[in-house]
Amino acid sequence: MMTNHDIVSLLVICQLAAPAATVALVGVPALLGRPPSERATALIVGGGFAAGFIAGLLTLAVLAARSFVPEIVHLGSWFSVGHHEASIELVADALSVPYVCFSTGLCGLVNAFARKYLHREPGFTRFFLLLAVFGTGMNLMVLAGSIDVLFAGWELLGISSTLLIGFFLERGNAVRAAMRAFATYRVCDVGLLAAAVMVHRAVGSGDFNRLFGENWPHGTCLVPAATATIVSLLLVFAAMGKSAQVPFSGWLPQAMEGPTPSSAIFYGALSIHAGAYVLLRCESLLEQAPLARGLLIVIGLGTALHANVVGRVQTDLKSMLAYASMTQSGLIFAEIGFGWRIIPLVHVISHAILRSLQILRSPSALHDRHELEAALGGHPGADRWAFGRLLPEGLQARFYRIALDRGFEEMVVGRLFVVPFLRLLECAADLERRWLKLLGGDAGPGGGRS
Amino acid sequence: MTATVDVSLLAAAAITVAAPLFGAAVTASGLHRGSPRRLAVAMACVSLLGSLAITMLWSQTDGAPRVFGDRLGGGWFVCIDGITAVLLPYVALVEMAILMVAPRRALEPSAVARILFGAAATLAVFLTSHPLLLIALWCATALPTWISVRSTPGGNAAARVFAIAMSAAVLCMAVGTVLLIIDPPWVAAPGWVGSAGGWLVALAVMIRKGIFPFHSWYPALFSGATMSTALAATVPQVASYTAVRLLIGHVDHPEGVAAELVVLSQMALITATYGAALAIVQRDLRSLIGTLAMSQSALVLGGLAGTLPMELNGAFCVWISSGLALTGIGLVSWALESRAGPIRLDTPQGRFWDAPALAAFFLLFGLAGIGLPGTLSFVADDLIVSGSLDEQLHAGLLVILATVLSGIAMMRGWFHVFGGPGDSEGTRHAILLRERVALTALLAALFLLGLWPDPLVRALDRATARLLGTPSAAAAHDLQDLPQGR
Repeated sequence: MMTNHDIVSLLVICQLAAPAATVALVGVPALLGRPPSERATALIVGGGFAAGFIAGLLTLAVLAARSFVPEIVHLGSWFSVGHHEASIELVADALSVPYVCFSTGLCGLVNAFARKYLHREPGFTRFFLLLAVFGTGMNLMVLAGSIDVLFAGWELLGISSTLLIGFFLERGNAVRAAMRAFATYRVCDVGLLAAAVMVHRAVGSGDFNRLFGENWPHGTCLVPAATATIVSLLLVFAAMGKSAQVPFSGWLPQAMEGPTPSSAIFYGALSIHAGAYVLLRCESLLEQAPLARGLLIVIGLGTALHANVVGRVQTDLKSMLAYASMTQSGLIFAEIGFGWRIIPLVHVISHAILRSLQILRSPSALHDRHELEAALGGHPGADRWAFGRLLPEGLQARFYRIALDRGFEEMVVGRLFVVPFLRLLECAADLERRWLKLLGGDAGPGGGRS
Repeated sequence: MTATVDVSLLAAAAITVAAPLFGAAVTASGLHRGSPRRLAVAMACVSLLGSLAITMLWSQTDGAPRVFGDRLGGGWFVCIDGITAVLLPYVALVEMAILMVAPRRALEPSAVARILFGAAATLAVFLTSHPLLLIALWCATALPTWISVRSTPGGNAAARVFAIAMSAAVLCMAVGTVLLIIDPPWVAAPGWVGSAGGWLVALAVMIRKGIFPFHSWYPALFSGATMSTALAATVPQVASYTAVRLLIGHVDHPEGVAAELVVLSQMALITATYGAALAIVQRDLRSLIGTLAMSQSALVLGGLAGTLPMELNGAFCVWISSGLALTGIGLVSWALESRAGPIRLDTPQGRFWDAPALAAFFLLFGLAGIGLPGTLSFVADDLIVSGSLDEQLHAGLLVILATVLSGIAMMRGWFHVFGGPGDSEGTRHAILLRERVALTALLAALFLLGLWPDPLVRALDRATARLLGTPSAAAAHDLQDLPQGR
């Protein structure tokens, strides 16, 4: 006779295994030179999301019947060395299960949309494969019951996001945007990696139930305030990159170079809120870390203000939507900083649904607008800068300039950090080449080829 | 039972080394009339099977090192322990993959003989802890590499750089080893002779491993030699193994060689970070692979010189994961170059459209080298970062910085090789079956060990515990698993 725990365990494994299986089912034949047809690819990936979604709904029903008492699904130890143990632990609770339903449902819808949208696109299989990797990573991150599992999901999200931004490999802008996003992710991932190490040192394993009580949203912190503060600050740093918070926000408008369906699901809906999800998951730690909460409020409100002002002067629809996403993401960060739990969750889900719909609709909305303009013989909409006209004239021009330059964020980050760093490296590489020339003779090494 | 296992281990070790040696002799003598590749791959397969037999036989033992022959300077003529059991199949697999993927024109009989001889010498290194034999094998592994680089068109400069580095390394190693034998630090606290010996061996390891400021031969070799030569000379990491046998294994004598290890560790971590940073601004694919290989190899030494089992375990995992991933990247690049010429990284080259299958393999190997979840490198990064941070904050931060920078360099490499507009009328380069098989085998190893890392990590835990003289967590865990009363 199966217990409730067994049923939930089976369903949770299914939520994770279904999209993961589609990665193998599409990826392995593609790697062996026999990719499935368009129809088969979309069916396999869509089927995986549908199975995950149904399993999610069933889990939700089981949990709801038991007043959302959390279930920990322990799948064993991945590996262990000394006091360092990486266990595969998943959690089904009031946060993870609704979020999985929402994310797999959205992935399924985008899958259905993309099947038509990307019909006969040369990278059709690649897109669906990356979507399946993303879905797997998302479910892994959401269902994670330990920081090791969460980090694995987080990394899969970053990699699939980068590869989808650079999906149109022939476009220089797409390649540059993908590199920019990857570099930002990589730098900010340091926060999550360091947080994982800190957690292991503090409690001897990465399991969340040793860090805080399981009963979300009423969990309690089980580690000292100093540990909670350090881990929280590291998590905030990690979340800033993935959720495009100032000063790591420059990659988001450029990320719209990817195909519209992936932009919708990544930068309108799920990936942009991954940071917020992690912070919500660890909210008990944040409660013990007023410094981190204060920082969240400052960063969140700063990002919202920055994105709102900059977004008002954007001249293309996708950039406008990117800044709109950033604004909402900043507000969600601030809400988490204020210590709210349900409001940011509702905000994440509602914003994600609205924004992904807007992004998916954007190509045809542009077409509609052009038709409307042709019919009216002029500009039909309101001036987005109208609110700015309330400012004194001198300030208007100054703000407009600042907004056009995207708040000088890229200039500051580039001039202060990226350019000097790259110049230093170029200088070192040049010295290396000269040294090799000296050692190896006139020509220096480099001529040998098979 | 023990005697049977010992005889079987010795027989498997002999087969592992003798098979490529036999292949080299037959190819060099001209007795074999057929395809040199077929014979070479067959011999590499036999060698791989021999090494796998050692691993399987080893798993049945109590974990104590099995030694044969004479003992000298703290080492044995043939020494098989946990480290051998783990690393030998890795080296054999890399050698086999190189032989399978190498383009036909790189496999003339003389070249095949050199590759097989080098493979035999490299495999022999991993079966001994005898200092004098190690010196001889250092020469035996360096010589075919040098001849091969010299015979490569345009490779004279690289050959000169390599010769300077290897001569210095072998000289330091020989003098240092003799001094260590005269005044062994593992017997008693050493005088100045033993200390000087330790420092000279450490210097030799630094040069042979391309640790800053002796790193220049690493990228030079990748730029000037054929890919098989460069990979075979660097990926097995002969110097890391020597460091394990001659320096790290005696760390429990604090007055012995510990100071050298501290310097080695710090310089290695600096090299790992520096190499990863340099890789970001490389202008051609060969240099990128060379600097990344230098960085990863230094990271291994940085971890090996640590004093915590987790750090050593992480270093061994990085050794295997980065080696397999770099071999894959190197072989894909070689396959690509052999079809379309040298590859620059100044601007996106648009090669995705010519060779999508090679692009997929390059991407997977690249990701498997920078910590893709599900691959061994994810486990390796986790262990080495945690271990380094546990030992020293700055060491941990350098390891993190190195992994971040190498990740950025790797992705930049992929986007610059495969991104960009392609030639719509250009030739489509299909991947050959032998290439696909070899690359898939390497990938499968990376994913299998990543998804199911526990057996490897446990085996390494026992080996590192023995190396450091600490109790093994895996052994303790096993004892707990035993039924009560046993």
